[in-house]
Amino acid sequence: MSVPVMTVPGEPPAAAPAGVAVRAAGLRKTYGKGETAVQALAGVDVAFARGGFTAIMGPSGSGKSTLMHCLAGLDTATAGQVWLGDTELTGLRDDALTALRRQRIGFVFQAFNLLPVLPARENIVLPMQLAGSRPDSGWFDDVVARLGLRERLGHRPHELSGGQQQRVAIARALLPRPDVVFADEPTGNLDSRSGAEVLGLLRSSVRETGQTVVMVTHDPSAAAYADRVVLLADGRLAGELTDPTAETVLDALRGLGA
Amino acid sequence: MRSVLLAQLRAHAARLVASTLAIVIAVGFVVATLVLNATARSTVLAAVGAQYVGAAAVVTSTEGTSLVDDVDTLTGLDSVAAVAPSYETSVQAGVPGRGGAQYLFVESVADDAALRWQRMTEGTLPDGPGEVAVSERARAEVGDVLTVTSFDETGAEIASEATVTGIVDLSGDPQAGLYGRAFVTPDQARQWGAVDPVELRVAAAPGAGDEQVRSDAATALGARQVEVLTGAERADEAAANMLGNAMALTAVLLVFGTVAVVVAGLVIANTFAVLLAQRTRELALLRCVGATARQVRRGVLGEALVTGLVSSAIGAAAGIGLAALVSALVGGAEAPIPLAGLSVPWYAPLAGVLVGTLVTFLAALAPARAATRVAPLAALRPVDQAPLRSRPGVLRLVLGLLLLLPGIGLMAVGVTAGDVLIALPGGVLSFLGVVLLAQRGVPPVVAAAGRLAGRLGGVPARLASGNATRNPRRTAATATALLIGVTLTSAFVVGAASTRATAQAGLAAEFPTDVVVEGFAGELPASLVGTLTGTEGVERSASVLAGSVTGPDGEPTGAFGVDRAEAAAALRSTEDLVLPGAGEASVPEWLAEVWDVGDGDRVALGGGDPGAQVPVREFTVRVIDADNPLLLDADELRALSPDAALGQVWLRLADSDPERQLEVVDRITDVVAEASPETQVTGLVTMRAEIDEILDALLLVVTGLLGVAVVIALIGVGNTLALSVVERRQENGLLRALGLTRGQLRGLLAWEAVLVAGVAAVLGVLIGGAYGLIGAASVLGELGTIVLDVPWVQIAVIVAVATVAGLLASVLPARRAARTAPVAAIAA
Repeated sequence: MSVPVMTVPGEPPAAAPAGVAVRAAGLRKTYGKGETAVQALAGVDVAFARGGFTAIMGPSGSGKSTLMHCLAGLDTATAGQVWLGDTELTGLRDDALTALRRQRIGFVFQAFNLLPVLPARENIVLPMQLAGSRPDSGWFDDVVARLGLRERLGHRPHELSGGQQQRVAIARALLPRPDVVFADEPTGNLDSRSGAEVLGLLRSSVRETGQTVVMVTHDPSAAAYADRVVLLADGRLAGELTDPTAETVLDALRGLGA
Repeated sequence: MRSVLLAQLRAHAARLVASTLAIVIAVGFVVATLVLNATARSTVLAAVGAQYVGAAAVVTSTEGTSLVDDVDTLTGLDSVAAVAPSYETSVQAGVPGRGGAQYLFVESVADDAALRWQRMTEGTLPDGPGEVAVSERARAEVGDVLTVTSFDETGAEIASEATVTGIVDLSGDPQAGLYGRAFVTPDQARQWGAVDPVELRVAAAPGAGDEQVRSDAATALGARQVEVLTGAERADEAAANMLGNAMALTAVLLVFGTVAVVVAGLVIANTFAVLLAQRTRELALLRCVGATARQVRRGVLGEALVTGLVSSAIGAAAGIGLAALVSALVGGAEAPIPLAGLSVPWYAPLAGVLVGTLVTFLAALAPARAATRVAPLAALRPVDQAPLRSRPGVLRLVLGLLLLLPGIGLMAVGVTAGDVLIALPGGVLSFLGVVLLAQRGVPPVVAAAGRLAGRLGGVPARLASGNATRNPRRTAATATALLIGVTLTSAFVVGAASTRATAQAGLAAEFPTDVVVEGFAGELPASLVGTLTGTEGVERSASVLAGSVTGPDGEPTGAFGVDRAEAAAALRSTEDLVLPGAGEASVPEWLAEVWDVGDGDRVALGGGDPGAQVPVREFTVRVIDADNPLLLDADELRALSPDAALGQVWLRLADSDPERQLEVVDRITDVVAEASPETQVTGLVTMRAEIDEILDALLLVVTGLLGVAVVIALIGVGNTLALSVVERRQENGLLRALGLTRGQLRGLLAWEAVLVAGVAAVLGVLIGGAYGLIGAASVLGELGTIVLDVPWVQIAVIVAVATVAGLLASVLPARRAARTAPVAAIAA
């Protein structure tokens, strides 16, 4: 997939290809300075289609997490640009970025997804409350029902199992109908059954409601749930697969020398 | 393990800064308190017992025998360098340029330099006859020649002159403003009518200690009827006489010292507990790699010991420095605080280092044990939240109640009995109980306050209220630190207000008249009352008739006659000096003893002049605790003693500052001197004002010291919040990722601080107020009637200051938290 690298910052949104939820151009990220500098991203051009479920894969240290952080506005890139729909994230001030995150991006992390002091219901509506908006109650009920959380809304995180906690996190991510949901190793801490359940829920949210999901994982069987797999090695794109299976992903990873 | 211990200390030096700071401040607090206490005490002693400071021993006669012959006996002793007999007399003195004569109290000056205690404002002490040094109150200048009227043994007047050589500085002496004082050589004092020395002051020979001099003197004078005290004992006695009750003063300081030590201990314990809680995982990791439980415990305790020792030593030095600074500032500003120089008692730095090290060590015991109980695997798991209903929690509850209830009982007994020595241990016990129970009591209150705040402050406030109650133990520890500071501050503010109110009432009762004008040799001209009433600064006056009556024992006795309504208006208090109406007689205690009468008895009084035929009158007796003659209604006295004339005028001055009142007293002295030369003016108002100032000053010092407690608590709040920020790095990152702005994150921490600090402040004020009232009641119970006073404004200020302090303490941790990158939530 090729993306215009020469885009001038602030260029009208018309330049964005239709049907793209998130894209990055010439994205570089360097940690440290001088001799100890580590290049986590060495110029990445990538785009994620609206309504698609994409997995980012790569060996440890390939830069997959850094890529996701930069795409999600959690970290700032050293060079290059990131667009969320028509909005350029690179260059936004912290407060604008924060507001954008709570309105247009959903997150599911590997662990520590929920605030221990709040019950499940409050955790789910937290980003919307922070934004000062009210969740549509029909949509809330729908999301909660699909994730099977109706009986758990009054529970605090420590009263929930790991799988239930991740489902609460998914509900929170889906509730504001964000442009994109980023999931960072969402099954990393779960047993295989709960993991499969979580991945199934993510996929069904893509199929049934057209939600865009970008997931970072190192687990080939998790990546197999996605429509497309983007491979990363040494901070660069190293290929991609469509309609992956665990076997094709494993083969592709072996091809990277991982 | 030693290498691990040292590596820990090196690696975590920065982390230890906070706890070191707390120990330094706490120990500095203890040491500064002890040093300032000692300094304030020695300053009060120096002011009122100045003449005894240089004396190793003081000899007074117990049976009125002359001490003149003892001078040589004492001078002959090896341990004695010099002996100064003190002569006292009084004269009337005229100052050039001023009308009339004034009363001067004359004291002899020692020949030996070591026994000369007088500080000079200017000039020098007299060297021979015809020379005199005076106090400022005499209002003479160096070089003035005073015309002195003295009286010999037979009462005959002797006129002489004396040149003023110097002005003596009596600042700090409550009696300095009462009347002028003159200092002359012993020979001059004898020429002016002094007969026997009132006491002998003895200076020690080089190398001889005070106690040795005292016992040598006592042995040498064994057969004589004398009392020999060391200079320090005599000074204590003088201070006691002057302040009414030196024990009460010591008791107040004792209460404060004890409390300071207890507080310091609690604050150090708190900080160290927080510090080790933070490292539980690290210690468990040591267990993982093979350290035995014993080694871990020893490592932690060793670290505590080193930290405690080093910080305490720094703290002791800082405390002495702080005390010196306070003393210098106070001395330089001429504030009415009795602090001069610096007295560092040997026990102050020792107690500081000992308390600091010991308490740090003890504080580390419990966390060290907890650390060794943790399974090694715990290093790999996040630390669980401690449930409130844990076993140590139950133990705490039981222990807390076991301390609290008997403590309250003891305080109740102490208040009832008016004995601070019973109430004090009760206070300490119950306070420890309160501190233990705070862990249970504070979190529910914070939760309740949090629900209220959640309605007002939106999402950050709701999150903050959840955060503030999620770790009840830590919230309680933080709140307790501030609770202690606030409790003490309000206890002292309330206690001080009550002490002042009581002392003022007591002083007014003891010295009901502002100014007394008295005929020195006979009656006053009747026109004087009008003249005095017209004098600027005089508010009310009452004329007092002086006459004589014959008592039931057949002996004539002097009596005063007053108009009750008029006299009552001129007095500050009629509590002790009860004024008689018609048919009543206020009989001073000494006279009641002579007449053998008591309250309610009827007594028949006859005319004072045996020659005049005056019918006997009956009176109802009221025995009064006052230092004056028999008091009767003016009309009744006139009936009994037709030649009764104006004997005294009592004046009440308009309320203003002591300086202004002293000016009024001077003006009255001038007016009186013109109208009637042989008249004595006694300005009790200045004495009362100066005692009041000393009280104020002591309270100011104590309040200043408590400011330090609040600073320590502030560090405690900051510490705990900083720790929370470190621990909640992930959580704060998550919140930032989910859309919490930096400002909202700062708001969250500010709310948390305000919740904890506000609750601690309100609880502290309530508990402290109770302690203050109990303390005042038990300390002052020994002294008589108690006036309880709650200074609401100060209380409100304390709550506001503590809450704002908590808010300020959140600023630095909040800045750090706001810098947390959202990535931290995932990266950790």
